[in-house]
Amino acid sequence: MQILRKTDLEAFRKARELGPAGVISLLKEKGLSGRGGAAFPVWKKWEYTLNAQADEKFVLCNADEGEPGTFKDKFIIKNNPETLIEGILIAAQVIGATRAFIYLRGEYEHLRRGLERVIDSILKESKSEVEINIVVGAGAYVCGEETAIIKSIEGFRGQPYFKPPYPPVEGLWGKPTIVNNVETLANVPQAILFDDWIEDLRLFSLSGNVTKPGIYELTEGTNLSELIALGKPKNRIKAVYFGCFGGCMPYAAMELSPEKVCVKNCAIGSYSIIAVDEKQSILDVALSVAEFYAHESCGKCTPCREGTIRIWELLEKIKKKKATNDDIDTLKDLAEQIRETSLCGLGQTATTHVLTALAHFRNEFVKEA
Amino acid sequence: MKITLDGIGDITCDEGKTILELCRERGIDIPTLCVFEGLKPEARCRLCIVELDGKLVTACSTYPRDGCSIVTNSERVRKARLMNAELLMPKHVNACSIDAKGESDPLCKLIYDLGLTRIRFEPIKKYAQDLSESVLRDDNKCINCGKCIRACSEIMAVHAIDFAQRGHDEHVSPYCGHRLHDVACIKCGQCIAACPVGAIYEREHLFEVLKVLNDKNKHVIVQTAPSVRAALGEEFGMPAGSLVTGKMVAALRKCGFDRVFDTDLGADMTIIEEASEFLHRLEKGGPFPMITTCCPAWIKFMEHFEHGLIPNMSSCKSPHEMLGILAKTYYAETSGLKKKNVVVVSVMPCTAKKFESTRPELKSEVDYVLTTREAAKLIRHFGIDFTSLPDEEFDSPLGISTGAGVIFGATGGVMEAALRTAYEFATGESLGRKLEFEKTRGLDGIKEGSVAINGKEIRFAVAHGGANIRKLIESKDEYHFIEMMACPGGCIGGGGQPWPTTKEVLGKRMDAIYRADRCLPLRKSHENPAVKAIYSEFLGKPLGKKSEELLHTRYFKRDMF
Repeated sequence: MQILRKTDLEAFRKARELGPAGVISLLKEKGLSGRGGAAFPVWKKWEYTLNAQADEKFVLCNADEGEPGTFKDKFIIKNNPETLIEGILIAAQVIGATRAFIYLRGEYEHLRRGLERVIDSILKESKSEVEINIVVGAGAYVCGEETAIIKSIEGFRGQPYFKPPYPPVEGLWGKPTIVNNVETLANVPQAILFDDWIEDLRLFSLSGNVTKPGIYELTEGTNLSELIALGKPKNRIKAVYFGCFGGCMPYAAMELSPEKVCVKNCAIGSYSIIAVDEKQSILDVALSVAEFYAHESCGKCTPCREGTIRIWELLEKIKKKKATNDDIDTLKDLAEQIRETSLCGLGQTATTHVLTALAHFRNEFVKEA
Repeated sequence: MKITLDGIGDITCDEGKTILELCRERGIDIPTLCVFEGLKPEARCRLCIVELDGKLVTACSTYPRDGCSIVTNSERVRKARLMNAELLMPKHVNACSIDAKGESDPLCKLIYDLGLTRIRFEPIKKYAQDLSESVLRDDNKCINCGKCIRACSEIMAVHAIDFAQRGHDEHVSPYCGHRLHDVACIKCGQCIAACPVGAIYEREHLFEVLKVLNDKNKHVIVQTAPSVRAALGEEFGMPAGSLVTGKMVAALRKCGFDRVFDTDLGADMTIIEEASEFLHRLEKGGPFPMITTCCPAWIKFMEHFEHGLIPNMSSCKSPHEMLGILAKTYYAETSGLKKKNVVVVSVMPCTAKKFESTRPELKSEVDYVLTTREAAKLIRHFGIDFTSLPDEEFDSPLGISTGAGVIFGATGGVMEAALRTAYEFATGESLGRKLEFEKTRGLDGIKEGSVAINGKEIRFAVAHGGANIRKLIESKDEYHFIEMMACPGGCIGGGGQPWPTTKEVLGKRMDAIYRADRCLPLRKSHENPAVKAIYSEFLGKPLGKKSEELLHTRYFKRDMF
């Protein structure tokens, strides 16, 4: 696998020779984009941060991998932490940061000790002056959102705030901050060092009704049927979910690329695929996803705080066969309202699963209603 | 910068203003609940939705770009606002039968204006009410706008409340779920002033007051704080800044109070004692700075967070406590009344005074405290047409006051009044017409200045608002005399004043206070004939044995949690 190749601080040394502008133009040439879900070009984020004027800057590695069905960051932290740390050092060197943070998901606390040992040995070997701190989250899904991470590290409630200003301008303690996902930062040294590095290779997290779930490294645009076949499902697959926030669509032989998935009103996000077979009811899945969002809403803005729990309520009503057609209309209205008027990415995507399920599997809801 | 607003193109507008500000300047009304004047937007309530180039955004937190198109009134926008309002309502509407904010509850008014007629959702959770002394909370009405928390932390720097839990369980809570009474809350009531839905309110003494008014054996005295006369009119639809001293006295008399006294006289007494104490410290050489103690919220603030300052505090009781004890001793004796039959009710702009009147060491002075809002409620309860009342005068002997007493109502007023008296006491010279100490006036967070008394430069400073108080304490050693008021603007911005207290309203109330000072024939506390009579007939001299016993108090260390 490309992601597991070791760079042994060679990329760090090369980056030092290239200088900040050199690294940024190299990353631009290689086309490395963010792997957290938004696919924002890495070079652009770094350039904004480099150009922002401040006495101090920070690098923040987002390891709060809370999306259900996503486990690629854990895979990297377990199997190739050296390259991740090297990526953090390169980022710090480019923007001139002396402090970096790794915001580790609360449920990954068992990975902390190992990661600390790797940090120590790499810092010793590289003779870098950068201080890397691990901050462990307390289990909130919303703390995967970059502004919520910043609040959490600062010691406040882990709640997002509206952007702009974006973190490259005003981040941790109001200073310019690079916030990148684990997979992104682990790709940085490889993109810098290897000429045969391919941007299109992605880590797919496959789970659900398959007998071989796990991480598969495939190129973007791989056919969905190919991926599902690797998972060896027992029964016929009916639908796939793209994590929780990406929505669902009927299973079909199609290319897995952001553009193609977008046609189905879904978002491929962090490339997690949850397979649902024909024995499952979409309503049951919707119920458990709705419960997840009602539980994980941070409570800051009205539509997400008050709306996600109502979505769950309405789905329960449908499940108990007490719903009317009006309730299904309300469900759709409410889902659109939450998507359009919520403050952060959590609320804006919290109802994609309902909207896509209603679009593609409406009969399963009406049948129950 | 050019924008298109509601289909009208080529509108020139300034950069650095949010869509909300631009619309308000042009008379376009956009509903909001969580916007806090003077603080950064948080964009929580999501009611100020507008369309910006086809995307729904919140007007309070979005800055327009050059060439953009804003639509404030499309069906899509109205539908989005309506649904967010509908989501907010189930919890509130269930608890809002008798609303603490009456017709001015902005949420209910907003819902009415939006035309929300159906609510499809039921309330989910029932919260226990937080029934503390002076400030009460009912989470069942709360819509999580967060304004009380911002008032408590960003304006007051007290941090008594914050959000607890998350998602739909998120609610406002004092530290670790305790009652407000058990945490470091200074009872200033700024959270009450900030709340748009009446989910935080004062403990009302209205029923108790009505009960004693009906008791034939009781001699019920009411006293009114300086800042009440500059704000009470607003409760009856009069414009902000109306001075309603005469109408207020007439209305209270109609309610059945036996005597209507003026807290301004208590303020004059405070000045005599405080100025004497200050001069005494000047002779003794300290401890400096001496800090004023008229504000009970500041006292509690100091006891919780800055109790190292206890030796610096003046030992004077606050004006209404002074007047209360004088009413029960001096006035009762001279009028042949029994002390136990005299009941003192204070009408104050303040919720902390309610707490103050329950302090064990001050328990006997004042029996009940009404906020300005409660006083208006009382007047309405008696069916009095306030605006058409003829002016009446305060009763003697405790109703004669000076301009120095009146300006206690605004930040810097206590300092100014004290300087007028201290200067003349110490130098024996008259200030003549130069009574105004401009450096103490205005709405700047921290004000400072100096005055020469007998060749010695006396440096003074004034702070209002908890955040400014904390700032001033850092540089306290540079000054001889400091005035602290917990609420922004001083008592005119108190937690018990009519809603809403905006910067504009605050400025108008302040003007009214200084206008009242200018119009009075007597403007120095020590020239008050009633004060002179009290000292010659009853107390003896300032800081004398009897004064110390009746007019001075002590302070305690309290925990931070």
